[in-house]
Amino acid sequence: MLRLVIKKEFMTALRDVRLQVSGAILIVLMLTAVLVGKQGQKQIQTEREKAQSAMYDTWLNQGEKHPHSAAHYGMFAFKPKPVLSFLDVGLDNYTGVSVFLEAHRQNEVLFSAAQDSNGMTRFGEMTAALILQVLLPLLIIFLTFNIFSREREEGTLRLIHAQGLSMRQLLLGKVWGTYAMVLLIFLPLVLLAYLLLDEQSAQLDSHVTGKFLTLAASYALYFLVFVLLCVLISAFAKNSGVSLLSLLGLWIVACIVLPKATSNLADKVYPTPSQFEFRSTIEEKVENGIDGHNPYDARLASLREATLDQYGVGTIEELPVNWSGIAMQAGEEYTDQVYDHEFSKVEQIFHQQNRVSEWAGFLNPYLAVRNLSMALAGTDFRHHVAFARAAEDYRRAFVKKMNKDMEVNHTPGIAFGDYNVGEEMWSSIAPFAYELPRTATILGQEWRSLAALSLWLVALFLGSFVLAPKIPKL
Amino acid sequence: MLEAQNLTKQYGDFTALEGLNLQVNPGDIYCLLGANGAGKTTTINLFMGFIAPTSGQVKVNGIAVTTASDATKKHLAYIPENLNLYGNLTGLENLQFFAGLGGDKPGKAKSQDLLRSVGLAENAITKRVSQYSKGMRQKVGIAIAKAKKADHLLLDEPTSGLDPQASNEFAQLLQDMREKEVGILMATHDLFRAKESGTHIGIMKAGKLVHSLESDDITLMELEQLYLETMKADPHAAVSH
Repeated sequence: MLRLVIKKEFMTALRDVRLQVSGAILIVLMLTAVLVGKQGQKQIQTEREKAQSAMYDTWLNQGEKHPHSAAHYGMFAFKPKPVLSFLDVGLDNYTGVSVFLEAHRQNEVLFSAAQDSNGMTRFGEMTAALILQVLLPLLIIFLTFNIFSREREEGTLRLIHAQGLSMRQLLLGKVWGTYAMVLLIFLPLVLLAYLLLDEQSAQLDSHVTGKFLTLAASYALYFLVFVLLCVLISAFAKNSGVSLLSLLGLWIVACIVLPKATSNLADKVYPTPSQFEFRSTIEEKVENGIDGHNPYDARLASLREATLDQYGVGTIEELPVNWSGIAMQAGEEYTDQVYDHEFSKVEQIFHQQNRVSEWAGFLNPYLAVRNLSMALAGTDFRHHVAFARAAEDYRRAFVKKMNKDMEVNHTPGIAFGDYNVGEEMWSSIAPFAYELPRTATILGQEWRSLAALSLWLVALFLGSFVLAPKIPKL
Repeated sequence: MLEAQNLTKQYGDFTALEGLNLQVNPGDIYCLLGANGAGKTTTINLFMGFIAPTSGQVKVNGIAVTTASDATKKHLAYIPENLNLYGNLTGLENLQFFAGLGGDKPGKAKSQDLLRSVGLAENAITKRVSQYSKGMRQKVGIAIAKAKKADHLLLDEPTSGLDPQASNEFAQLLQDMREKEVGILMATHDLFRAKESGTHIGIMKAGKLVHSLESDDITLMELEQLYLETMKADPHAAVSH
């Protein structure tokens, strides 16, 4: 009997001209968004790969110079454009694309797309994610708002009940029938997106297929939650008008009001320091020590004493190694320590802000799927931080190598301009490479969003089971 | 057997049905007559379990509808007054869907035979119901009821809006079912059809069954006279049998 209801719901929806038109428009929109998104992602990634390669060539061909000059000469690290960003651009337009890596200084990741765009960027791009998260639920509302009330108004509900079908079976049949229709609309996007995962995608992210399938499954879960919610509301609405108004109200709250309110709340509860404050604190702590009682001069004097003791000499001039190299590396390491200390505090604030949004997913499934989608697409804040950390690690490694060379090879007595190194040294620094986090890592970080969606699903199925017998038949 | 014992239904201060006692045995065709708001549809809705009684008992083959509504459904077939089927499905698909819900989905050939047997035109069988007239939809409803092979048939104004020929065909179908020992409870405004098809006739007014009599005991003229007098009379008068 359940199968009969599912088939009937599917067939009636399929033959409804209004739904045929709106479904077709949505499919065209989704496919266009996917194609345009993929073209954009591919173009940007190709540009970044070229830029990264050109920067490395420049590094290799910088000519002979002192290693510390090379550390200041520096190089750029470009953030790879995540493969699945063609489905969900997330925060990618706002988080910057490249960072200049140089001695003594941890620079910010700069040049976000939003910086080069007009105000329209704030309204968001027509991405597949936007359509799936916001517009498809709207179609679900139009599919379901009168799914019960129309039957009640036209008397078919009585005939169904008279045939002996329980309200539980009817409700489930309507849920699965509508869900089958939603999946039919979702399927072309999934197939097209899958076909677009080309060789470049696999090179950029070896886990992309797993992430894509998890992303598709997350959306499928989200649609089921939305279908269940809409069918349940329709079942108890007094009439089709009330049902439509209630569902549209719910949609506005879930997809527009709550996300904005959540973000404002997170910002209010966990305020972030300004860039100026952050930089000033680092400079102040580098100068006076992390605890404020270990100034630069004292640290340097202490290092000098320790180094002289280590080599058993009385003066810097007697050292067999380059004192400046040692002092610079020690300075680097202390700055790194201060930076890590301060950055971890800011990072913690950002994570707390994100956590507010993740917990809010238990109130609003839209937020849960939005967080999951950005994470799996590689366009969330965690991915940005992961890139910034990888770039910083790379910076530290190459600066350390330059300082070490200076310490060991630029021995006392050789003037600064007389000690130079060349391509052999430059090529010992491998090109910057950044590996995107694995699917399991992402899911581990996003467990709250996953749990929220699952909990919604369980609660709605339980609610349906309990409430179905109470559905009014007249 | 369909049985109502002291059945009452109230909506707030309004009494839609008051102390109804009624019995429909296998092979009976019990026709409930009465003006709009007399309680006919409320009676049918109570038997079908669409609404719960305020007091009293309603039973189908000895099973109380209030406590085992779903279990009584296999014994009941139902045709409402305004049968709105699914417009996007054909008559054949509607029949197969509703009959399937009843537990026994007939095959295509059997479904077509059923639709032919209730007088639906051959070319209408595979047309979408959105193109059907009320009479055609009613015929599909009858086919659905026939397919269920239930012990009892509950009809709420089934001939309302049917043309005379369709109405006549419908009366013939009722007789066929009666011969198969199906107990039928029918709410109707049609005195002629009640007298012609019914074995028992009840006249309701303001939620009460005012008269309950056997069809053979009264002529059509007398029935009409009784009906008109009842409509004018005090609704609190005692029930006559």
